[in-house]
Amino acid sequence: MKKDIKILVVDDFSTMRRIIKNLLRDLGFTNVDEADDGRTALPILKQGRIEFLITDWNMPGMTGIDLLKEVRSDPELAHIPVLMVTAEAKREQIIAAAQAGVNGYVIKPFTAVVLKEKIEKIFERIS
Amino acid sequence: MNSQIANLEYEGLEELLGQKARELVLAIDQGQLHTAIDLINQLQQARHQVFYNEVGHLTRGLHEAIKSFSSDIGEKIGSRDVVSSGMPTMSDASDRLAYVIELTDKNSHETMDRVDKSLTLVDRLDHQSERFRDLLLLVGQLEGDFKALDGVYDRTCMVKNESEKTVAELKSVLTEILVSQSVQDITGQLIRRVITLMTQVETQLVKLMEMASKVERLSGMDVSKKVARESKVAEDQIKAQGPQLKNKEANAVSNQDDVDDLLSSLGF
Repeated sequence: MKKDIKILVVDDFSTMRRIIKNLLRDLGFTNVDEADDGRTALPILKQGRIEFLITDWNMPGMTGIDLLKEVRSDPELAHIPVLMVTAEAKREQIIAAAQAGVNGYVIKPFTAVVLKEKIEKIFERIS
Repeated sequence: MNSQIANLEYEGLEELLGQKARELVLAIDQGQLHTAIDLINQLQQARHQVFYNEVGHLTRGLHEAIKSFSSDIGEKIGSRDVVSSGMPTMSDASDRLAYVIELTDKNSHETMDRVDKSLTLVDRLDHQSERFRDLLLLVGQLEGDFKALDGVYDRTCMVKNESEKTVAELKSVLTEILVSQSVQDITGQLIRRVITLMTQVETQLVKLMEMASKVERLSGMDVSKKVARESKVAEDQIKAQGPQLKNKEANAVSNQDDVDDLLSSLGF
């Protein structure tokens, strides 16, 4: 697995972005960008070079599910694997995310083991 | 006559009704139909007026209750050092709740700063362990030459392995502390939900007060008592839904395993 890929972490809480960033660093991924909602994430994604997207669902501005839909509908971005890390835990929401094309779904609060496992699983599938 | 009705309270209604009813019977008995109709109109007016006045009281009462709640809470929170130093003029409950988010955010970051620093120290321990290994190799080489060193190499190796295990354990505990800071996100989302709710309540309350002041003007109540209109309206409309309270939400999954099951049932 390439460790130098560029990852974008989107969450409106800086605490959560930092936690995810630290766990990614533990996994050897140090090339991480941040955004605080879908609206600020999109321009970063459109600049290219982002190869993995981790996003929260519930954010002001643009939510994670809308961001996911935008990404999937943009031919330039559609290939990017997306992991949703969110406190939204309704069955309908998880199904909606799956239908929108999410690659993984982790509910908050999570453990380091779970998050790392889901990230690794996504990379396994890609490669 | 009209002023008697305009200031009518619920307590006085029965007495007034009795009085008017007797006048009504008298008027009918005396064949004064015009006066009788007038009395019926007054009875109807009295009923409406009591209702309007009660709504006015209710609204003013609510307004006062919220004002006193606000200043009461302000005093209690204001007396605490942590708040009085940073937020001397917190004006309403939404601000205070937003401040809770700010405080927990700051606190979480400070905790993570310390965890980061501790992890740096752990890295240093790892590095020292490597240097220790080099020294141990030297002991191993010398062991053959000096009988007194017999077994020292093996015993030291054991200590070194134990120490490395402890360091690994320490690192995993530190990571757990880091991840546990995610509670700030969860509580923050729940607090935002309450802020949204309060903002909505506030907006509705302002409408209610406007309605009451209209009622008061229409009914000619004492203008000096008029409710001060609040114009502070929803400035922070957060559309967030927030975390589900799992045991309360019938259709929410309860843990990551449920999510995994659900996703695998969808072919993931």
